[in-house]
Amino acid sequence: MIRNSDLADLSLVDAAEAVRTGETTSEALLDACLATIDAANGQVNATIWLDREGAREAAREADKARAAGAPLGPLHGVPMAHKDMYYQVGRRSTCGSAIREDFVADATATVVERLAAAGAYAFGGLNMAEFALNPTGHNKAFGDCRNPWGADHITGGSSSGSGAGVAARFTFAALGSDTGGSIRLPASACGVTGLKPTQTRVSRAGVMPLSFSCDNVGPLTRTARDCARFMSVIAGHDPRDPTSARLPVPDYEAVLDGDVRGLRIGIAETYFLNGADAPVVAAVEQACAVFAARGAIVSRIALPLMDAVTAYGGIVSRVEASTIHETWMRERPGDYAVHLSARLYAGFAIPAAYYVQALSRRGPVLRAFAGEVFGKVDVLATPTIRTCLPTRAETDIDHGPPGSETRFMAVSANTRPFNYLGLPAISIPCGFDPNGLPIGLQLAARPFGEARLLKVADAYQRDTDWHLRRPPLPGAAA
Amino acid sequence: MDDFLAMTEADIARWFGIAAPNEPARRMAADMAQIIAAFEKVRGTLKFEDEPSSFEQALLDTRDAGA
Repeated sequence: MIRNSDLADLSLVDAAEAVRTGETTSEALLDACLATIDAANGQVNATIWLDREGAREAAREADKARAAGAPLGPLHGVPMAHKDMYYQVGRRSTCGSAIREDFVADATATVVERLAAAGAYAFGGLNMAEFALNPTGHNKAFGDCRNPWGADHITGGSSSGSGAGVAARFTFAALGSDTGGSIRLPASACGVTGLKPTQTRVSRAGVMPLSFSCDNVGPLTRTARDCARFMSVIAGHDPRDPTSARLPVPDYEAVLDGDVRGLRIGIAETYFLNGADAPVVAAVEQACAVFAARGAIVSRIALPLMDAVTAYGGIVSRVEASTIHETWMRERPGDYAVHLSARLYAGFAIPAAYYVQALSRRGPVLRAFAGEVFGKVDVLATPTIRTCLPTRAETDIDHGPPGSETRFMAVSANTRPFNYLGLPAISIPCGFDPNGLPIGLQLAARPFGEARLLKVADAYQRDTDWHLRRPPLPGAAA
Repeated sequence: MDDFLAMTEADIARWFGIAAPNEPARRMAADMAQIIAAFEKVRGTLKFEDEPSSFEQALLDTRDAGA
């Protein structure tokens, strides 16, 4: 049997396997998660709500089902908490905001239903940037989520509680969402693994919208293998989301064999290293050396069209977010955080012709970018965040000095381009900066290349242990 | 820039009935100069036939061979 004190440290896959084989129970997994939350959430502030009674009931049902010999799904009996913007019938979905503090949805998100069909159950709502619209994790309504590796530093956002919660062992995995980096940034900042799928790969039905062109749903986990299992459950066409792709879903876990021989990995020289801090660049280069040692062909590559990607990508989500928030911006502007209402306000100033141009050029730019780049390499490698992780104070537009906007926006400079292009991208931990905060390696591939990314990330995690490090929090197992 | 900002604020007020909620909002609205500069760099690249729905097909056409 696994010691109860070790249960929270299990990966998602190991937790599911432990329940399946009877090494532990779902109720014991839940107890382990709640114990870490009770010990450390005062420091991390990663949760907005917990449904302890509902979760206890679900755990007991899962244990009864196993005892009765019922068929078990790939995530049977695993408790999870998710970014608090995944609608669940009868439960709050605050969207991290005062405006939706008491909102209860009348339909459950498709991805939550799919996780439930696989045997998982949700027990909490995790902190997040207000309406998923900041890259740092600041939150006026529920308090800033704090990085488990250093409370003064940002968690990354907008899926702040998902990154911090997975790192702190509050949950075995969490749903995040990514419109400009909101899965990859907290994954990088908190030292976990986060995948933004290809645009259209995962259903967005029942998920709070921010930008219908750039929103993505995806997992934050501790390992690439966890991500693979999670993706195999949630990906695929959904009649409730007509934009979701009709392509078949591969068994992402089945391709994880560690073999990256002959794979072409290009370190992006253009744009992504502009102003990058030396420790971050060094960590990315060392990570690529790990791939080379496994037989991958590592090179440096200049990227085309970055002027177009940054010009167009900079406005699509801003205009769409401003549009859907128009009524509340007119009627309840004081209920938004300063940085959020400021960004939404500026979105109204962008001309419609710019917006249509940005959308109209998206397909042609993707074709040209993919044709040129992925003819030369299979996977692009960049830092997820260019700089050593900033503090919450340095990026606090609401209370900081003029200029904090620049630092704030710089956080997502390396993630936003892949949202405009619609490409899949994953962030995996690859080291620590001189302040002891995690550094993330971002890998991107062709559309629907999630399997390739997961295979590469898994290969890296076979040779390194950055993803296994546990933050020094109260209640951490010895 | 002050004239530009004043014009922008007036436009947003007229088109949407929304006033600048705070000083950072004014600063960000004034930053439209950066967006204009970024679009100046890509002027002339839009083709007459370009339109938004081409994106989903581009995703499929450029997809990973293993997908």
